Amino acid sequence: MNTPLDNIRTVFPNADVWTQRQGLYHMSIPKEQLVALVTHLKEVEGYLHLVQLTAVDWIEKNLFQLTYILNNPIKKIDVMVKTFIPRDNPTMETIHHLWEQAATYQRELREMFGINFPGSPRVDKPFILEGWDDIPPYRRDFDTKKYAEETYFPRPGRETNDPKEYMKKKLYPDEI
Amino acid sequence: MARIKDIISPFTAWKNVVKEPVTIKEPLKREAAPRYRGFHKNDVDTCIGCGTCESICQNAAIDMVPVEGIETKNGDSGLRPRIDYGRCCWCALCVDVCTTGSLSMSNHFKWVDSDPDVFRFIPGVDKKEWDNEPNGYKKPGPNYELYSKERVHMPELKPEERDKSFIEIVRGYSKEQAMKEADRCVECGICVATCPAHMGIPEYIKAIRNEDLNEGLRILYDTNPLPEVCGRICTHKCETVCSVGHQGDPLSIRWLKRYIADQNPAENYKKILETENITKNGKRIAIVGSGPAGLSAAHYLALMGYECTIYEKLPLPGGMMRYGIPEYRLPYEALDKDIDYIKSLGVEIICNVTVGKDITLDELHQQYDAVFVGTGLHVGRSTRIPGTDHPNVYQAVDLLREVTMGKEIPATQSIVVIGGGNVAMDITRTLARIQNQRYGKVNIITTSLESENEMPADREEIIEAREEGATIIPGWGPVKIEIENDKIKGLHVVKCVSVFDENRRFSPKFDENQTNFFAGDMVVESIGQGMDLSYLPESVKDNLKLDNRGRIVVNDYFQSSVNWLFVGGDIIQGPDVIHGIANGHKAAIGIDKFIKSSMKS
Repeated sequence: MNTPLDNIRTVFPNADVWTQRQGLYHMSIPKEQLVALVTHLKEVEGYLHLVQLTAVDWIEKNLFQLTYILNNPIKKIDVMVKTFIPRDNPTMETIHHLWEQAATYQRELREMFGINFPGSPRVDKPFILEGWDDIPPYRRDFDTKKYAEETYFPRPGRETNDPKEYMKKKLYPDEI
Repeated sequence: MARIKDIISPFTAWKNVVKEPVTIKEPLKREAAPRYRGFHKNDVDTCIGCGTCESICQNAAIDMVPVEGIETKNGDSGLRPRIDYGRCCWCALCVDVCTTGSLSMSNHFKWVDSDPDVFRFIPGVDKKEWDNEPNGYKKPGPNYELYSKERVHMPELKPEERDKSFIEIVRGYSKEQAMKEADRCVECGICVATCPAHMGIPEYIKAIRNEDLNEGLRILYDTNPLPEVCGRICTHKCETVCSVGHQGDPLSIRWLKRYIADQNPAENYKKILETENITKNGKRIAIVGSGPAGLSAAHYLALMGYECTIYEKLPLPGGMMRYGIPEYRLPYEALDKDIDYIKSLGVEIICNVTVGKDITLDELHQQYDAVFVGTGLHVGRSTRIPGTDHPNVYQAVDLLREVTMGKEIPATQSIVVIGGGNVAMDITRTLARIQNQRYGKVNIITTSLESENEMPADREEIIEAREEGATIIPGWGPVKIEIENDKIKGLHVVKCVSVFDENRRFSPKFDENQTNFFAGDMVVESIGQGMDLSYLPESVKDNLKLDNRGRIVVNDYFQSSVNWLFVGGDIIQGPDVIHGIANGHKAAIGIDKFIKSSMKS
């Protein structure tokens, strides 16, 4: 019997497909074929619901990973579709024509990771960061701690101790 | 028809009136998902206050604060994390990185209060309703680690490659291995208090990560002028408190130190350490004994401009490091690298001179501005059981010294060693090698009072001794050496049931009904060493304050009650190398203070 995954393997021989557990599949595919794959999943396989669209910064490999989570509400199956795009000047095709709400996710990714989705409605409008003038904050080369220290004032009453110095003070204060 | 349906259909909604509503009646009582990341929980008894949670927090939401009732001690800073929920973003990196696994999160997330200060508290100390609730976020299983829990394996010679020779067993880390091992350090600094010399451990490990081994060497020499030695044979107490060791292997601090020392060539030391030009201050210090304490004192005094002369009884400097520790653990080239650098600072080492015989302490006092003695423990103690006066009963330290001197030492075909410390392992493994060279097989039994888990020797020493063919039988007390026709037949022992009393004082108890006999034609005692202070003249002895156990009383700067006489090393603290180094360093500072204050008066 043909399993749903076999169909995908036949239609998209470039897709790497595996099962994590019952009801959760993974698919990885080159970026050029991603929109074709998710279109197929929606229109033919019954994955009608876009659960989430998110990204991961693989800074060591100079890549962004995009993850599209789709759901088949009848068969109760989730599928995680992954693709990798270069980290420099990152651009991806939009899928807002399949799911209108994808435009919101894409606007968020544009703001937080700097990934562009040409043609996606209002993609360049600020999403939640107003007047942001730094590099996109979800990128791993963004120094969150430094930003927090520079931007927010310390709350009164806060003080901390370095364990090494504190132990010296307590245990061997007079030694060199 | 359509019109009728339009009129009737709204009434069908009335059927829902009796249905259970799907909205939540009391939203504030709604429980979050079991793995939701809510307010933190901390098991404060497991927590060691390493502050790694604070370091990783990207929002600077965590402070490390003292907590009443939690004591600062070895391996525990006494601090505990206090979290400011005005900053916490619930990312749980603090939970993921927690070295002891004490920190977790409850799934409680609802809390309304008009006082913003209540949202800053110490989890586990400031009691909360969720403290004992099981739900919430914990670090996921064993494949999710922010740092490696496994130590980088140290390459060593296999037993069959080493059991006939005295070449060094441990080969040292490569650059790649050292970088990988250094990467496991969380830089908490808990180890620093435990190191007797308080070395800058996190800093020199960081220097390895930064590939700046010159800086690493400078950090080592700030507190330790014998890094090649300590990088090999230090008792590494630091590793016993390493925070990473709580849920994995502790950092290999000792081998990383060795890596830094090994990688810096001796000829560059003076340039790296900026000791090419030292201004002399014209004061002279005599040092008795060239062991770790004496060398350390000489090193730091020389840096301050003092002219130091070390008097050594034996033909070469190093004390127990040369004449006690076998070459396969500490090769002479490594020791000489450290000593030669100290000599290059202008320290003079006069060997083959016995203070108290060739020159008296009083003479040293007259010729020098102050005297430091670190003469160590070189006299082996005897069990004094019947038979120990037989000529084939030896002291481990005497034999080890003779091996270094290149003398042929007695090693018969079957030997019994009494003792469970590192010296016992040293003599066992040395004799095993000699037996292997002479007879092609090892026949040596080493027995200790202490049980397997209580043996004071380092674990790897015991394992390696067994790998080399020695038989280690812990838990027996020696009773009598069996002698027949003037020849040793073996050692009678009884079962030792406990070594220490409830106050951890030495008070062995035996079960006389359980006896055993270890056959052998030679016995070596290695139950500890004593000091020989016969070089102290009466004039000094009369004024020297001793404690009730006969030890010389010194102040924090290792100054004795005779103000020109400073004492350190094994005769005061230890016995080990690192205490000697720390003593010597402090004594050097004390001597400097003493001389400067006597110049004023």
